[in-house]
Amino acid sequence: MDSEKFILKNKSLPDEAIPVIESMQRDGEKVLFVIVGDLTLKGRYAPTALIFTDQAAVRCDSGEVSRYLYKDMTEVESKRMYGNATLSAVMPNGKREIFFRYTYAVAALCDAAALFINHLNNGADLMEENAIMTVTFERALSVCPKCGRTLLHPGAECIMCRSKIKIIKRLSKYITPQIKTLIVCIILSLITTAMSLVPPTITGFIVDVVFGTSEKSNIGILNTIADMVGPDTMRLLFTMIACLLFTYILQYGIGIVRSYLMRTVGDKAVAALRSDIYRKAQYLPMKFYDKTSTGSVINRIASDSSTLQQFMLRITQEAVVHAFQLVGIVIIMMTLNPHLTLLSLIPVIFIVIATRIFSKKIHPYYRRIWRRWSSVFSTLSDTIPCIRVVKSFTGEERSAQRFEEKNNDWLQMDLKIGKLATSFPQIISFMVTCGSLIIWGFGGTKVLEGDPAYSAGLIVSFISYASMFYNPVTFFANLSDSFQGALASTEKILDILEAEPETHAESHVVPDKLEGKIEFLHVGFSFDRSKKVLDDVTVTINPGEVVGIVGTTGSGKSTLVNLLMRFYDGYSGEILVDGHNIKNFDLSAFRAQIGYVQQEPMMFSDTIFNNIAYSNPDATVEEVLHAADVANAHEFIARQPDAYDTVLGERGVGVSGGEKQRISIARAVLKSPSILIFDEATAAVDSETEHLIQEAIDRLIAGKTTLMIAHRLSTLRRANRIIVVDGGKIIENGSPEELMALKGKYYKLVQIQSMTADAERMREEERL
Amino acid sequence: MSNGTKERRFVSGNDRITVYENNLITLTFEDGTAVERLEPRRLFPVNLLSSYITLLDKEGREIAVIRELTDLDKDSREIIRRSLEDYYLVPHILRIVTVTEKYGTLHWKVETERGIKEFDIRNRNHDIRINKDGCVRVRDSDDNRYVIPDYKRLDKHSRNYLISDL
Repeated sequence: MDSEKFILKNKSLPDEAIPVIESMQRDGEKVLFVIVGDLTLKGRYAPTALIFTDQAAVRCDSGEVSRYLYKDMTEVESKRMYGNATLSAVMPNGKREIFFRYTYAVAALCDAAALFINHLNNGADLMEENAIMTVTFERALSVCPKCGRTLLHPGAECIMCRSKIKIIKRLSKYITPQIKTLIVCIILSLITTAMSLVPPTITGFIVDVVFGTSEKSNIGILNTIADMVGPDTMRLLFTMIACLLFTYILQYGIGIVRSYLMRTVGDKAVAALRSDIYRKAQYLPMKFYDKTSTGSVINRIASDSSTLQQFMLRITQEAVVHAFQLVGIVIIMMTLNPHLTLLSLIPVIFIVIATRIFSKKIHPYYRRIWRRWSSVFSTLSDTIPCIRVVKSFTGEERSAQRFEEKNNDWLQMDLKIGKLATSFPQIISFMVTCGSLIIWGFGGTKVLEGDPAYSAGLIVSFISYASMFYNPVTFFANLSDSFQGALASTEKILDILEAEPETHAESHVVPDKLEGKIEFLHVGFSFDRSKKVLDDVTVTINPGEVVGIVGTTGSGKSTLVNLLMRFYDGYSGEILVDGHNIKNFDLSAFRAQIGYVQQEPMMFSDTIFNNIAYSNPDATVEEVLHAADVANAHEFIARQPDAYDTVLGERGVGVSGGEKQRISIARAVLKSPSILIFDEATAAVDSETEHLIQEAIDRLIAGKTTLMIAHRLSTLRRANRIIVVDGGKIIENGSPEELMALKGKYYKLVQIQSMTADAERMREEERL
Repeated sequence: MSNGTKERRFVSGNDRITVYENNLITLTFEDGTAVERLEPRRLFPVNLLSSYITLLDKEGREIAVIRELTDLDKDSREIIRRSLEDYYLVPHILRIVTVTEKYGTLHWKVETERGIKEFDIRNRNHDIRINKDGCVRVRDSDDNRYVIPDYKRLDKHSRNYLISDL
């Protein structure tokens, strides 16, 4: 049974598989890993298992065990269908047989397993292939193998099962600088709590000794004060009022100091945390942003950090205060009168239970309200930016109705919860008051009966204490909820803080000025190991060459550029620039040598001047003006009322897409890079603007190694070499003339595009 | 420039500037050639007020750029200065008389060196911009500009109005 624990698997093994594995192990077969599936061959949901040993794959499915030797299987294939997928292989009888069926939940593992078998049959090393599978298993884990909790993303560490000390250590970094203030805060809290416990005793004393007939109370210090004041009850009353005033002043005065200090501690901690997350987010590799939406990263920086801060403060402060208050009250009540104490605690039990029930009941409602609200919000963000479409298809009424529906849903839900949410506090208060009735009833009877252990003052103090008791009780009853929330936030924050930043190799070669020779040597790349985006790409680009990269969407041409920019480092093979492996270059120094112009230019909401100077913040005014000249941007900038001081993204700033593109080209000019990359730079603009941009590009690329990704072949008229990429491979490579003579893919593309161009020209002529 | 960009011409101290009409000027180069009907415009109307003044012709083409106003002789400088003053009307706010708010739009009544003016501010985050040196730039809902050279030197009353909006 023990050996079962060490077998690599994605879920706990189904019962029927365990004896199978055990018997195989007894026979000396080595079990490598098990894919626990969820679908039988007949298509019913049930746990199944595909056990991979060093010789064969063994399927346990609906009580049947089938064995498939690797050497009997050829062309193992994983095929994704709709909601389910299959593993199949060509068996010795020459027919393709499906030997495992599963849902998408395990599809990634089965994809890898298919490769595993094929590679083994091609003579690959067993241990090496097993190592790849181990990695795949780790990445594919979407639930924690220990506790079964769903992870933030497949392969993430489970926050519940992590060493809590490590988490606390990680976060304490933000609290420790404030530790002195925090300790002062806790001490002050203890004082204020202690002060809050005093008044009920004094009021009890006033009732008994000042108004009543008792000579003495059972509180020693108050007796001493009474002795010092003398027999005058009026004087005694005002002395007691003075005592009350003194404790109130102390309690609330210290309260002010404490709250202020608390706020400082909290603000400082959260500010430090937030800056850290932001800084880290800047250095995270593109890979991280591929799997995490930018919105979620923004959310983590903005709101998860404050959720966490609130929780840290709650734990360090409120928990201490409440615990102290709870203990303090019980001790005082017990010393005053144990019987009455136990009696007055009866409603507490009900209140704790009621609170738990209430929060359990109301929690899903809050989530529902929240979901209704986000659906209202998404209607908003869907339709308002698309208002042009809405109007052009006369959809105003439809979208108004849709919004009204969603808004009504929200209203209904909110009204529903309203009853519950507003009645609960009232019910709790009612129960607390009923608690005081018990004290009145029981204690009052005793007082009237003349029991010396009971007095009117005692009952008055008791009622005050009992009511103070409920605050800390409800606090602890609800603590676990806020703990859950904080844990979720912590998980998301740590995901950023602990993610690997972009890799920097040990040897930081700082390129002085690159010649611009680029070599791809057997480069292969895949985002998720299942589909190769680039496959064994080898190409050399000489300094000063202008290379056009063409290919259909998804052919891998942008990936080529992304790898060169080092947005992704996990590729096989080598990329050399000027003979150096680009992984050995200092990352920022290397990127500084590359000018990159995207299809959709990204602008910061800052002045045009600063947007251009972003690539070189030390540039002088005239250098920026020159860059704008080269980019054909100066004239339209000068026409803006605020010229270079125009703030982009503001109301009334009319900068078109083509103009932004020229600003981004100016940005690239100012960088004076050695290598230029244009990723569909003119794809989104009209032909006149394209001409202006083309002119700018022509000026910019003089003498520089240039890669141009383009759909429109007209963009590539300056290219002296064309690379055609298809299916992750370079299928054609040569000068435009050579490729035309080849009559291959490039030739076909040119034919198609010149046909459309001809048609356009004819239409143009007709119009004239 | 080797890469085919037109070389920018800067106005030198020996070039002359005369009035053409209104705020338009005529630029006479040292060699006697003259270009008429030019409009001086600031390339940095917010950040650099007396440098990088471009001279545009009727079609908006740039004929030359004045690097610094001080590069010019006294008469020419004065002409440019007056032309810019006509073109860029950015009154100085001397005092904020009242500020009211309605439906999120601010309504300011201010005293400028050009008299009392009332205007709306639509977006207090974008349309009131404060510089580190204390200079505040205000844009009203009609895209008119105002400036408070140093808000710290406003009277207390105006300062309170301003601070409550920032």
